[in-house]
Amino acid sequence: MNYITTYCRITSNSISVNDCKTESNTTDLSSNLLEVYKNEALKYPKFHKMDLLAKAAFVGSELILKENTALGNYKDDEIALLFSNSESSEHSDSKFETSYKNNNPSPSQFVYTLPNILLGEIAIKNKWFGENIFLVSPTFDAGEIKQQIELMLMNSSKACFCGWVNVSDSNVDVFLFTIEQNQTEGIELTEINLITLYNK
Amino acid sequence: MKIYITGTGIVSGIGNSINETYNALLTEKTGLTQKEYPNLNRSFYTASVSLSNSQLAKSCNCKNEKISRSSLLGLKAAIECWGENQIHPNIKTGIISGTSVGGMDRSEIFYRSHLANEPANFNDLMFHDSGSVIEKVADHLNITDYINTISTACSSSSNAIMHGARLIKAGKLDRVLVGGVDALSEFTISGFKSLMIYNDELITPFDKDRNGLNLGEGAGFLLLESEASIAKTGNKILAEVSGYHNSSDAHHQTATSPTAIGATLALNGAIKNANLKIEDIDYINSHGTGTGNNDLTESVAYTNVFKENIPPFSSTKAYTGHTLAASGAIEAIFCILSLNNNVIFPNLNHKNSIPETNLTPVTTVTKDVNLTHILTNALGFGGNCTALIISKVK
Amino acid sequence: MLVNREELKKQIIEELNLEELTATDIADDALLFGDDGIGLDSIDALELIVLLEKFYGVELTNPEEGKEVFESISTMANYIEKNS
Repeated sequence: MNYITTYCRITSNSISVNDCKTESNTTDLSSNLLEVYKNEALKYPKFHKMDLLAKAAFVGSELILKENTALGNYKDDEIALLFSNSESSEHSDSKFETSYKNNNPSPSQFVYTLPNILLGEIAIKNKWFGENIFLVSPTFDAGEIKQQIELMLMNSSKACFCGWVNVSDSNVDVFLFTIEQNQTEGIELTEINLITLYNK
Repeated sequence: MKIYITGTGIVSGIGNSINETYNALLTEKTGLTQKEYPNLNRSFYTASVSLSNSQLAKSCNCKNEKISRSSLLGLKAAIECWGENQIHPNIKTGIISGTSVGGMDRSEIFYRSHLANEPANFNDLMFHDSGSVIEKVADHLNITDYINTISTACSSSSNAIMHGARLIKAGKLDRVLVGGVDALSEFTISGFKSLMIYNDELITPFDKDRNGLNLGEGAGFLLLESEASIAKTGNKILAEVSGYHNSSDAHHQTATSPTAIGATLALNGAIKNANLKIEDIDYINSHGTGTGNNDLTESVAYTNVFKENIPPFSSTKAYTGHTLAASGAIEAIFCILSLNNNVIFPNLNHKNSIPETNLTPVTTVTKDVNLTHILTNALGFGGNCTALIISKVK
Repeated sequence: MLVNREELKKQIIEELNLEELTATDIADDALLFGDDGIGLDSIDALELIVLLEKFYGVELTNPEEGKEVFESISTMANYIEKNS
């Protein structure tokens, strides 16, 4: 049986981990993430070079790892990363587009014009060598995600770190969660439970 | 359960069909040419598909030629792959594609005008998203049971093949079109130039003096089927997807690790997944982009896995350029052509081996080779490493 | 043209998103790259090449030269002064 063992929701003015919510006064995602980074003493200078998509995924993943320290017990290739969104890397795409149209193509911006780079950032920080995939779909598709998780766990992975990460100037829709097997605590992995948590 | 390949379709700088592609591969005919890019104020070696958007649209019976070139390339290859197949209520059919640029070619047109404060057509942005590319193809072929888009950079279509195989093995689908698409765009050319890994000359994969990649465009699709599905469709079996594995390099956003850990895990994992031994691999179609970093890492990975007994290997990117998300599928198709014709296609432009590892790829077309199991790998940005094994079915 | 080292440090911090550093944290001769330095990586090296051109009109076409040029603030400033 598969269980949702930790989850994190980030909107434009709040961040919550397992229902423990912190609200902020501003809707500026960048400054909200920076505040969490400082308050949680995340101490990872590479954070500042990430684009907004990777920053959101990174902060969420760090909060989850602080909440669920048992994740540290898995071997370095046992946790699969499964992320998706509908906007791909659109936020960085436009920035890079502007930079090369102005004849100053920015290599550091180009790096983030692929949504799966955020998987790379999480893997690099945690030294995870397991399976990793990024899907693009029109909406948060709980059924598809559940199916993907089951396929990954049927193969070589023992746990999944999942995320729906959409970030734009006008919309922040981030939902991260971990899936583990045979747990005594956690919410059973069903489509309905995923949708309920996503909509909370 | 075995996963069989019963269809292939391809379009790239070396051909607009499987037959044209095979002939180009046999005659060592590259698709890379110097092309002017006036908006970038210079020329680059790129491998373009020879058909214009209106020619592609016409050949696919697509009424709207003003859709993304990626969609048109995808349609062309998918239609060839699908062939005479029909939708059937008892055959669960899906489509999974990889892309990195999606409809960027049309978005660029929009942005050029928009940034110059000229009137810009917002309709051009309608095709930007990665998903729209495959939705056009699914719509055209009437595939509705399952549609998905994978975006993991250069390993996207390899991951599409792996994902499709898993869905069939899990009984979720009976038949699935899997592959990838990427059209050339100024966006990616500028990007790779800014990373200083775009070669001003023709690429020289696995060469001591390699100096970066050349980009290409294209689309490649494979039709994967279960045995039960083949019993209904009667499709001819071309080859088998006998193994696969995906790993993370966990080193850097764009550079590969000096120890090649991600690639090594992927190669070993695929061989294990196929229940094979390392000596069963007859040939490797490499990722071999021609960059300083990739080709060294890949050579280290081969040494890690195969020790002294590295099978013959070659990168075919000097033919097609690096077709980014489409490369995994395009190169899997080259593996099928190799298997069924007992031929290894060469690593063009090679002169001297990389001194650190001293490996020499196959440098000429080599016929009458006994090939049963071929390994093909893709190493994507973000450290996404996927290896596939394509096997002959006798 | 003389390069204002403090200005150069601020430009580097800004362009490379080194938010945890201030100009006073970077000594003129401090190593920029590697674990002994302020921890810049290969992408940062490319951004420094863009910075040279954007702010000082100096083009570095050979990334191999970069290792010497970008060793420290001093070597960067000297290179700009020599080539502008």
